[in-house]
Amino acid sequence: MSTTERPTERQGSGTAGLDGPLSEALVGTRRFFTRAEVSEDKRSLYAKGGRSGDSFYRDRWSHDKVVRSTHGVNCTGSCSWKVYVKDGIITWEAQQTDYPSTGADRPEYEPRGCPRGAAFSWYTYSPTRIRYPYVRGVLLEMYREAKQRLGDPVLAWADIVNDPVKAKRYKSARGKGGLVRASWGEAAEIVAAANVHTIKQWGPDRVAGFSPIPAMSMVSHASGARFTSLIGGSMLSFYDWYADLPVASPQIWGDQTDVPESGDWWDAGYLMMWGSNVPVTRTPDAHWMAEARYRGQKVVVVAPDYADNVKFADEWLPAAPGTDGALAMAMGHVVLKEFFVDQQVEYFEEYTRKYTDLPFLVALEPYAAKDGSAAYRAGKFLTASDLGGTEATAENAEFKTVLVDSRTGQLVVPNGTLGDRFGDSGAGKWNLDLGDVVPALSLLETRDDTAVVDLPRFDLAEGGDPVLRRSVPVRRVGDRMVTTVFDLLLAQYGVEREGLPGPWPAGYDDVDGLYTPAWQEPITAVPAEKVARIAREFAQNAVDTKGRSMIIVGAGTNHWYHSDTIYRCMLLLTTITGCQGVNGGGWAHYVGQEKARPITGWAQMAFALDWVRPPRQMIQTAYWYMHTDQYRYDHYTADTMAASTGTGLFAGMSTADQLALSTRLGWMPSYPTFDRNPLDLADEAEAAGRPIGEYVVEQLRSGDLRFAVEDPDAPENWPRVLMMWRANLLGSSAKGNEYFLKHLLGTDSSVSATETAEAARPKDVVWRDEAPEGKLDLLCVLDFRMTSSTIFSDVVLPAATWYEKHDINTTDMHPFIHSFNPAINPPWQTKTDWDIFQAIAEAFAPLGAKHLGVRKDVVAAPLLHDTAEAMATPHGRVLDWRKGECEPVPGKTMPKLIVVERDYGAVFDQMGALGPLMEKLGTTQKGITYNVEREVDYLRHKNGAIRGGAADGRPSLKRDVHVAETIMALSGTTNGHLATQGFKTLEKRTGQLMHDLAAEHEGKQITFADTQAAPVPVITSPEWSGSETGGRRYSPFTINVERLKPWHTLTGRQHFYLDHDWMQELGEGLPVYRPPLNMTEIFGEPAIGTQSELGVSVRYLTPHNKWSIHSEYQDNLFMLSLSRGGQAIWISDKDAAKVGIKDNDWVEAVNRNGVVNARAIVSHRMPEGTVYMHHAQDRLIDVPLTEKTGRRGGIHNSLTRILVKPSHIIGGYAQLSFAFNYLGPTGNQRDEVTVIRRRSQEVQY
Amino acid sequence: MDTFLFLIVPYLCLAVFVVGHYWRWTYDKFGWTTRSSQLYENRLLRWGSPLFHFGLLGVIGGHVVGLVVPKGWTEAIGVSEGIYHFLAVSLGGLAGVATVVGLVILVYRRRTVGPVFMATTKMDKLMYVFLAAVILLGMWNTVASSVFGHYDYREGVSVWFRGIFTFRPDPALMSEAPLGFQLHALVAFALFALWPFTRLVHVFSAPLGYITRPYIVYRSRDEDREGTRAPKRGWEKASR
Repeated sequence: MSTTERPTERQGSGTAGLDGPLSEALVGTRRFFTRAEVSEDKRSLYAKGGRSGDSFYRDRWSHDKVVRSTHGVNCTGSCSWKVYVKDGIITWEAQQTDYPSTGADRPEYEPRGCPRGAAFSWYTYSPTRIRYPYVRGVLLEMYREAKQRLGDPVLAWADIVNDPVKAKRYKSARGKGGLVRASWGEAAEIVAAANVHTIKQWGPDRVAGFSPIPAMSMVSHASGARFTSLIGGSMLSFYDWYADLPVASPQIWGDQTDVPESGDWWDAGYLMMWGSNVPVTRTPDAHWMAEARYRGQKVVVVAPDYADNVKFADEWLPAAPGTDGALAMAMGHVVLKEFFVDQQVEYFEEYTRKYTDLPFLVALEPYAAKDGSAAYRAGKFLTASDLGGTEATAENAEFKTVLVDSRTGQLVVPNGTLGDRFGDSGAGKWNLDLGDVVPALSLLETRDDTAVVDLPRFDLAEGGDPVLRRSVPVRRVGDRMVTTVFDLLLAQYGVEREGLPGPWPAGYDDVDGLYTPAWQEPITAVPAEKVARIAREFAQNAVDTKGRSMIIVGAGTNHWYHSDTIYRCMLLLTTITGCQGVNGGGWAHYVGQEKARPITGWAQMAFALDWVRPPRQMIQTAYWYMHTDQYRYDHYTADTMAASTGTGLFAGMSTADQLALSTRLGWMPSYPTFDRNPLDLADEAEAAGRPIGEYVVEQLRSGDLRFAVEDPDAPENWPRVLMMWRANLLGSSAKGNEYFLKHLLGTDSSVSATETAEAARPKDVVWRDEAPEGKLDLLCVLDFRMTSSTIFSDVVLPAATWYEKHDINTTDMHPFIHSFNPAINPPWQTKTDWDIFQAIAEAFAPLGAKHLGVRKDVVAAPLLHDTAEAMATPHGRVLDWRKGECEPVPGKTMPKLIVVERDYGAVFDQMGALGPLMEKLGTTQKGITYNVEREVDYLRHKNGAIRGGAADGRPSLKRDVHVAETIMALSGTTNGHLATQGFKTLEKRTGQLMHDLAAEHEGKQITFADTQAAPVPVITSPEWSGSETGGRRYSPFTINVERLKPWHTLTGRQHFYLDHDWMQELGEGLPVYRPPLNMTEIFGEPAIGTQSELGVSVRYLTPHNKWSIHSEYQDNLFMLSLSRGGQAIWISDKDAAKVGIKDNDWVEAVNRNGVVNARAIVSHRMPEGTVYMHHAQDRLIDVPLTEKTGRRGGIHNSLTRILVKPSHIIGGYAQLSFAFNYLGPTGNQRDEVTVIRRRSQEVQY
Repeated sequence: MDTFLFLIVPYLCLAVFVVGHYWRWTYDKFGWTTRSSQLYENRLLRWGSPLFHFGLLGVIGGHVVGLVVPKGWTEAIGVSEGIYHFLAVSLGGLAGVATVVGLVILVYRRRTVGPVFMATTKMDKLMYVFLAAVILLGMWNTVASSVFGHYDYREGVSVWFRGIFTFRPDPALMSEAPLGFQLHALVAFALFALWPFTRLVHVFSAPLGYITRPYIVYRSRDEDREGTRAPKRGWEKASR
């Protein structure tokens, strides 16, 4: 031991000294020069008075009041904020800290908030604030002239839009300035007149409304949605359109998206962040991840770049963009081999037997292989109808799947399949109770034989055999050979078992052996050893903790064309390891997810289900794919996507043909539906004295009536009016932005793509030689700030900000509901969304009464999920009535046809009151119908009743607070009576105890006043799949697992296998790796990495922004100051060096879809071959004219376009059935490439 | 003319200097700042700023000795003209060179470092012109008066300067001085006039007290009030 000499620590003196002799000397002199007292040790000075300077900062932070509010489109943070008001002016905001506690032994939610939220108050008085109504100048002049001449708003509007010269005059002026102020009365009148004229001439389904993500301001969302629905317009979906909807979720679970709250990350023992950059996009929640690490949690990040979340990680797997499926397949290979074949883990076996489709039997199906041989591929689930005997004739037998009881070797039809969900015989049987049955996962021990099955592979760029032949154990059932999903899965993942002929991979290091860790290494660039180790750790943690391994997934992995397969590969990892439905385990999907917790109440308000049903709800991706004519620029046909094991099902079809098929079979909604006004169609059927179904079928057969989707460019089939609020289509979500400008709006665009060659054109969809431009007659946008959308609008209406209205807000990131409240009244001439649509309805009603009156309307509605209509397609066998393969039967082989009555003169009255269908039909959510008579009576007292008019005596919805109260009264999550009632209804079907989950809150009604006081925890309700009973953290599917409630799928279990014809054709029956689309092959774009005088070709990704979110945008001065202050593209130092780009240079990115100009951010954070342009950077801030076109540069989506994947438009079959924002084609945009170069640094504006 | 330049102008400038500071203190208390750009650039500033500021302190000290102290006083304590001159030129020259080098570095920095240049106001630029002119003219006088012939400013300029403050100014003394001295004096007074409207005000708020300040300063409430402000009339405490 060495005794280090240390300075003696002031022994004896007892006083602390100063920093050194110099300080001692200097500071020591002060006492001689001051009247103030200096302490003994000379360290402190005690002055008398001298505080008057404090008043400066006391004034700075003084305020008159603090108001609770939040930010409300789709910021999933849902943080409650204190908004400070001083002298009638909003001054600043700060985080609320009054979230209810999560319990004694874990971190808290408070405080929540990020710099983006803290910057919002800038908007209130910002220069971009829209203060008055604006109308496009040329339009307003023509309108005033026409109205003067014709004396009627509707006739005036018709006069303009029906005159091609006049119409072109204002449409071609869109986006070029020229908006002038108008009065509220005049602006509302124009909007109303355009709607009335469109309904009269073309039909109500030619009107569309768009507003996304209701959860974050339900009343505001409901405002326009309610108006649109009342007049018969189509509300456009958003979750699928944003490509945030993980299609794998409906495919696997029959559920839209249900994920853990962030507080449940704390419960995880092992956490992977895979394509979701939590600190950037879930900033207020990220602390949970950091805190859980102190509890021993291991964090692994998969990201192509050195993203912000990587620095939290114990390990980083930098997988190349879009190759996540390969990585996940290799991990699946390891887990299946080590935890299911080399050893059996009791927890995994029990879980997968009970809660997954692994033990279910699938028939092998002979098919004509491409090499001409007779071969087998995985076919359909064996169902009770295949068994013969009494089982086969039982109710819904075709939807009762079969497994083998390992104790007896007998075939068993277990409880809980789709066949038990509807119909009398299933009552009390729709549950996961297996009784004494022990399902056999594999038939290996009891096999009759083995059979070779063809499995498609997609990893071969060129050459090689795209079919794998591996064998599975089979059992003979009648003339069929059947095997289990588990056996198929092992064959797919290349896990060898003794007695089964291969070829099998030789080991983890077999580069050619699908899907080994070594195989994925050249694809993802992640070392094989690391992949195997992480997979092993992930599974072992699940063994040790009984399922507390979690994967956070998000936009990085979800926005790809093949995202559904990517997700299925990843989610296999959380599912076979028994992590789903367990706190701290399973998937956690965070991108644009919307969880309007009081969803039932919101749905009644938004879709006016209290007055008329059904509403028109449209899949937005397909809507714009057709109506912006992007289908005319496809250079591939649908069979490009088919697998080597396909049978030519898609031969000769284009994507547009597939959409036409999906429409006529009733799979997906399609609006406008027919090439005729649905009001006239109803009149004609009535005049002919025929039921509507018969009449329409007859007309369709004769060819007199056609689906609009079959001729989208015919003027009668165009969308005519689009109303948009809380949204910024043209600055944010419009994939193929330039196609919108060209075809929808009819103004300048930068599209340079060529149209489809004749051979690849659609067959069932009419091709018009001249593509129309300027289809839309009216674009009306409500906003509080000038955006890329408002500048293209015909009418701009000034909206209130989040600090100027009442509303309610929820998220899935935390379990609370809380409120918006006006810190000030809407300033200038702004109004709340609710008031704006009241004003439009008020202007509409008299015009509607005069020009429309009471009309019948034929609504064509698709076959819906969570209804018996999901049983329209036995075995997923596609039969097309057009080809004579079946009879056209509305609601079975084609859309439902429902005649509804619309009283156009009463729209204003209906807007402002809760309608009578509430008591008559109740409310329905996810297959459960609620009786709400008690609630309507409560609301009549709470909100007051309307006197006189069409809504006499009904509860009022005149004010935004009334709507908020109504939403909360009509939903189980906020009304304990309804939650309990719903569970009791569900108990009758499942035969399992459930209502105790809500019993603790049965008497609780959350009111608006409660949400004003503090964020309020919601109640466990059958509207969602997780339990929050007893203050528990929310994790999805815990009710399914703990209360044996089936998932809403075919087998009632979590699905690895999908047996629909189209899934088989795509080769995606099982999880499989599909690489990103080859844009060189499909669209002739230069291959990634190639260089020319035009620059270097790179993958073009549009991840979420660190300096904006959809409630707090890029144009905010504070955010511009923190970031580069305008559009920017991140590029790697290597790519930049290739083409001489230096940091902050102006660059130009060009592909066939458009042109973008931006500043380059050169960073080694980026991987070579990939650039990022952050999402939603409006074209209003510092965007110069481009060199290529001489027109202003575009937004991030100017370089993307819509690509519809066939697997997303399947319908009418079990979990593959439509529901709004539950299933639909995604507006994916990750597969795109662009050429980027340094442009002249002399930019012009 | 001389009366105007060397009598009226100095008093005008000094008046602006005094009233201007009062005005600035009253109406722009929170704009009373050095406008430091240290946050934007540090490498050049580390050399330029001390060179300039300490050099300038020396220069100011020299001026005090040269202008304020009458010639008779220094002679009385036995400092001969030769020694005085030697000290003035050597020490003054050293301080002057340090000031000029510092100034060059600072101006170079201000012009070439983007963020610093962006933080430069029009008033800053104007002030720099005058400041540089004063310093360069002063240097010229020092050099010129020792190389090209002798002018004893202590007999002329200094007497005139002291006269301004004793209200017995004699402009004739200045008209006899060389042009360099005349210009130096005029530009210096112009700088005094600009002073209150520029960052130069920071001269009066240099935190000298920090050197001897105890680490913790407590301030008690003022005895006559409970808040930081005196109560408004009618709201005084009843017991008073």
